[in-house]
Amino acid sequence: MTPRLKDLPTLRINPATKLSLTYRGRRYGGMAGDTIATALHANGIRIFSRSLKYHRPRGLYSLDGESSNCLMEVDGVPNVRSAVTQLQDGMIVKPQNVVGTPEHDFMSFVDKLDRFLPAGFYYHYFHRPYKLWPFFQNRLRNAAGLGRLNPSFRMKGHFDEIYPSTDVCVIGAGPAGMHAALAAGDQGLRVILLEARPWPGGFFDYRSAEYSHDIPLHKRARQLADKIGERENIRFFPNTNMIGFYAKNLITAFQVGKESDPFDERYIEIRAESVVVATGCIERPMIFDHNERPGVMQVNCAHRLARTYGLLPGKRAVFSVGDDLGVEAAIDLSDLGLNVLCVADARFDGQASSLLEGLEKRNILFLRGWAVSKSHGNKTLKKATLCNIDGMMSRDFTCDVLVTSAGLTPAAGPLFLAKAKMSYDYFTNFFLPEALPPKVHVAGRLLGLMDSLSIEVSGRLAGLSAAADCGAPVQNHLRDAREEMEQLPGPARGSKLVQAPGSGRKRFICFDEDVTIKNIYQACDMGFDNVELVKRFSTAGLGPGQGNIPGHNLPMILAQYLQKYGDSSTTILPTTIRPPLVPTSLATYAGKCPDPVKRTPLHETMEKTPGAVFRRVGPLKRVRYFSNDFTCRKEIENVRNNVGIIDVSTLGKFRIFGPEALKALQRVYVGDMSNISEGKVKYSAMCNEDGCLIDDGVVIKRGDNDYYFTSSTNRADSTVEWIRYHSRHEPWNFCMVNLTDAFGAVNLAGPRSRDVLGMIADKDLSNESFPYAGYREFKIKGGVPIRAMRLGFVGELSYELHVPASYMRTVWDLLLEAGKPFDIMPFGLEAQNVLRLEKGHVIIGQETEIRTTLHDLGLEFLWHREKSLYKTVGAPALSFTEHQEGRMKLVGFKMEDPSRPPKDGSVIVDTRIRGHVCTARYSFTLGESIGLALVHSDLADIGTCLEIFEDNMDEKRLYATVVPTPFYDPEGKRLRM
Amino acid sequence: MAPRIFSRLTRKKKQRVLQRHSLKGSYDAVIIGGGLHGLATAYFLAKERGMTDVAVIERRYIGFGGSGRNTAIVRANQRTKENLPLYAEGLELWPKLTDELDFNLMFFNCGNLNLAHSEAALGSMRLLVASAQFHGIKSEILDAKQCKEIVPILDISDRLTYPIMGGMYHPPGGTVRHDAVVWGLAQGVTNHGVHIHQGTEVTGINVHKGRVVSVETDKGAISTPLVLNAAGGYSTLISAMVGIQLPIHVLTIQAMVTQPLKPILHHVVSSGGYHCYANQTLKGEIATGAHMDPWPNYTTDVSAHYIKHQAEALTELMPCLKGVKFMRSWAGLADMTPDMAPIIDGNDHIQGYFMDCGWGYFGFKSGAVIGKYMAEFMATGRYPDRLAPFTLRRYEDHRLMGEIANPVNYGPWN
Repeated sequence: MTPRLKDLPTLRINPATKLSLTYRGRRYGGMAGDTIATALHANGIRIFSRSLKYHRPRGLYSLDGESSNCLMEVDGVPNVRSAVTQLQDGMIVKPQNVVGTPEHDFMSFVDKLDRFLPAGFYYHYFHRPYKLWPFFQNRLRNAAGLGRLNPSFRMKGHFDEIYPSTDVCVIGAGPAGMHAALAAGDQGLRVILLEARPWPGGFFDYRSAEYSHDIPLHKRARQLADKIGERENIRFFPNTNMIGFYAKNLITAFQVGKESDPFDERYIEIRAESVVVATGCIERPMIFDHNERPGVMQVNCAHRLARTYGLLPGKRAVFSVGDDLGVEAAIDLSDLGLNVLCVADARFDGQASSLLEGLEKRNILFLRGWAVSKSHGNKTLKKATLCNIDGMMSRDFTCDVLVTSAGLTPAAGPLFLAKAKMSYDYFTNFFLPEALPPKVHVAGRLLGLMDSLSIEVSGRLAGLSAAADCGAPVQNHLRDAREEMEQLPGPARGSKLVQAPGSGRKRFICFDEDVTIKNIYQACDMGFDNVELVKRFSTAGLGPGQGNIPGHNLPMILAQYLQKYGDSSTTILPTTIRPPLVPTSLATYAGKCPDPVKRTPLHETMEKTPGAVFRRVGPLKRVRYFSNDFTCRKEIENVRNNVGIIDVSTLGKFRIFGPEALKALQRVYVGDMSNISEGKVKYSAMCNEDGCLIDDGVVIKRGDNDYYFTSSTNRADSTVEWIRYHSRHEPWNFCMVNLTDAFGAVNLAGPRSRDVLGMIADKDLSNESFPYAGYREFKIKGGVPIRAMRLGFVGELSYELHVPASYMRTVWDLLLEAGKPFDIMPFGLEAQNVLRLEKGHVIIGQETEIRTTLHDLGLEFLWHREKSLYKTVGAPALSFTEHQEGRMKLVGFKMEDPSRPPKDGSVIVDTRIRGHVCTARYSFTLGESIGLALVHSDLADIGTCLEIFEDNMDEKRLYATVVPTPFYDPEGKRLRM
Repeated sequence: MAPRIFSRLTRKKKQRVLQRHSLKGSYDAVIIGGGLHGLATAYFLAKERGMTDVAVIERRYIGFGGSGRNTAIVRANQRTKENLPLYAEGLELWPKLTDELDFNLMFFNCGNLNLAHSEAALGSMRLLVASAQFHGIKSEILDAKQCKEIVPILDISDRLTYPIMGGMYHPPGGTVRHDAVVWGLAQGVTNHGVHIHQGTEVTGINVHKGRVVSVETDKGAISTPLVLNAAGGYSTLISAMVGIQLPIHVLTIQAMVTQPLKPILHHVVSSGGYHCYANQTLKGEIATGAHMDPWPNYTTDVSAHYIKHQAEALTELMPCLKGVKFMRSWAGLADMTPDMAPIIDGNDHIQGYFMDCGWGYFGFKSGAVIGKYMAEFMATGRYPDRLAPFTLRRYEDHRLMGEIANPVNYGPWN
């Protein structure tokens, strides 16, 4: 293991705590604070993976995890970003996309075939002759994809989710972010500070350059961090990646737990009044021949390896940089013991004089206006060729590490997601925010600022602006900060170099997808002239690195190329950035995966009832059967012969009251609501504008201008809105309350139901005093208030009892107790389904389609024509379609073979499909197979023979005859008993 | 002819997908919308009807709208007898089109498995299966165990919120690379000399004496006797230019992909109960999506809630996917009609004005074949029988199509 640098004040590792990991079957040592990648690097491992297309060796390039180079399989989880994942003891790490070993990959020959694999090659190959395509398709599928997931993989660990709300959310705890948090925190506001790394400090954290008066930057970072720690109103979330920025400052993020945390990862959804984005910069890759060979790494990667993890990146280093940070890193690393052979700077001028003196003092060769043009080596880096910018001179250096970046890229993802207007700035060569959405502020290097003090003050300014959004009285502070800002250096000039001279075939603009500069030109040559199309066609930036490697270079390269070929439009446009900004595990998003089941007041009682088989219906769990006999014969026969009871609490229940409540009812119900007599229920229906049935239920008049009404289960949530929508232009005075959850309901049905209810009701239940279609309010057992209605959905004497939800269990128990002598039994939804089928009653969605009108269902008697005054919803359509030909009609049918009902969903056919079976069952009551079907009107006449085609029937058919409904008790005597 | 596996090697001249042209003052036909439907119509107009003096006007870039945002699933197990043959023909067209365009559209015939979580759902599926079988389209009902045999990573235990009770398996379906279709058609169109004008916005359509005479754009006016509105999510805005109000609500629909993986999911799996479907693209990403945001909306904003829901649903159905990471989410527009069936009409009210819109989230599946019929309609003026059921007038007559059973819930009253 490489010895670590000791006693650096910037180190974030703890050599005292030894950890280990297993890589390709061997154990390696690491220490607390290491990431997986730094531990591997410390053990001399340089090749972490093989690339997607060419199987090129790939190694540590960045410590911020923005390329797929460092994606590895860890403990069975594919595509783990090893560069940013903290090492935990005992991790099992595997390299990805390797056929053979990382050093010797059998597929690496593909690297030589690049001439035959131009951009989008798969669109041009493999389809002729077409019959060979499936073969190639499978080869392609197997070659594509990074990482392998075991089908039996089960994620371990605890996944949590939290939903904090805050005054100010600051994204990024670098110097600007910390200042923003402190400035807002000083105002007593609640602040949330998010940081992707395990500690705050940003690009101050690892640098020894002077901040002021002999205070190095890393010390300054720690001072600020201490202040953050002291503030109770600042919640600091380390190890937290911000992933989404949605409307109205909804920020999503996820945090990776430390060992002391009660979670492994947690999803965080923050609602903030104001947001400060201070995410700083990442590095913009330099593009040259073989620019991704292991040994080539970014400046801050090399710098942080040494300063944060105590690891020198190599022995002999060449630097090719484009900004002062690169020169600074070269000097610092040289002081730490790295043999720096040369620093090439793409800029001709603009370097800080102190840095130039520093290089000279250390005798480091400085090449002004030079850049790296090629890296050499079989697998890892052996040599680098540098050349001057016009390509006239070149020099070779034998080296094992090449530290390079073309410049900086603002990590502006959050701003793009927040829909800030971003435009290309030719001075900083950044995409800068031109206009920000309300209550979003930006600070620090995102603005192109590079001076330490400017960055800090911009942070304070942003924090104060955010505080102002929250109503804090900060006008004076704001003015002072703005004045201070004006005295400080503004944005720094940025490098616009993308690639060094040369035209090699292996100049990668996107590592994840092995996209070269040549591929980009190929796409342009095919006519793709838009950055989005080029991105999609070349796939540059579509890989797991979320586009961070090519995101900035691609628009620049494209603009250059198009300009060269005479495209006058020179605007550099960014590609679209989409959430999540950082790949986020489905386990994390799923979080605790709550099961939002909605229970009826009788749920517990049902669970205890023997034989109950539940089915989930939307958010509800309801009993479908009360035994394992799914024909429900016993349940059905007991209702027909004795008495049954069913929980129907899911029915929608509403109160509507006020002087103009009646008008609202008249508007939505097809029936006339003006003549509901006291003590009666009025059965009616609602249609949509096409006259199609959307709901049915009953309406009761409980007092002057005061109505109680029910809807079907499906409409319980939408009925109030429906009425509001359809009365939105009327100045009507009425109120509505959704009582669905406040009341439970049971249906007590069967010839003995009067006897049962009579045992406990304080009311004369005789047919005279409480007839069919009557409504009564009374008490049972002297205390429980009941709203009772005599309805006939299942076709027997029955009472639908609406009871305050809290009394439901009592009432259910009382009824069962009272019903014992009458052999009462609960029945489920399937039994109800058969019972109502025998009665020919429809269930909306089962016997209807979206095109089924009242007339189609034979329910035209519900429509009251003489109330055009009320502009009843659907009435014009009902008039229009009343006599329309060629509609689908609901019919009842009996099967030719009484023992064999067709399955629901079978189709009615002749030479074409003419309709379908909605519901069909064997009726024990009738000893026949019956059903309801929607058929074309010319098949709807009584006596018509229907030909039924069920799935897997081939040439066979079932036959049925259209009959009148109801099938059972057509005179309705049993309801009126 | 020797097999041309590597057809690119034997290609004589470089094919261009796009070619810039200056906008002419007149064309024989103008197609508004450079997506799948518009390009397919342009292609068949040129290839089968000999009409090459055609302009495709695209406000952004080709495939910007639904064509580039859908999840590329194709199938032919619709509900109605009007839709079924159209979709079946559409499925058969992909291989033919691949060959014709000499552009690999990457039809991945993996089959679709649609899961049922209730008896009612199985009943609805049986209607689809019986209808498909009656039309000679392969489709069958499976029980939960058979579902698991086909897709081994499914969890068929009753631990699930909505346990899997069975499913509908439709072998002829699969996925087609959606971008390839757009680009392949664009290449075909370009080869025939049709002009594609990207970055050009239609600002008006002029009608004289009941006939289309010209189209106004921000780059100049074009006189033309034939206009096709194939503007997808924006079709109502185009239609309003000639005073035809379409019964369309536009809703946002979201989708997302995971990081690429080696093959683990070999079919398109969908679940109405979970409002979720997933398939693994040839690139290895698991693409997933399903339901629309339930309110009318012209933005393509994604929401925090939806991606979370999708993760919850997928990890319940296929628990191993907890180890996978989402990489990207996006949204497109669905132009929803009241009956979930499209509006394909023309020469009604206004001579020379055609429309192919209201496809909602089904627009990709049969886009190419519609182009073929639309081209026939525009070139001959005769309304093809296959398209006639999709007339706009059906809404005036209150004769909706029965593509779904339950009333839709995406109106402004929601």
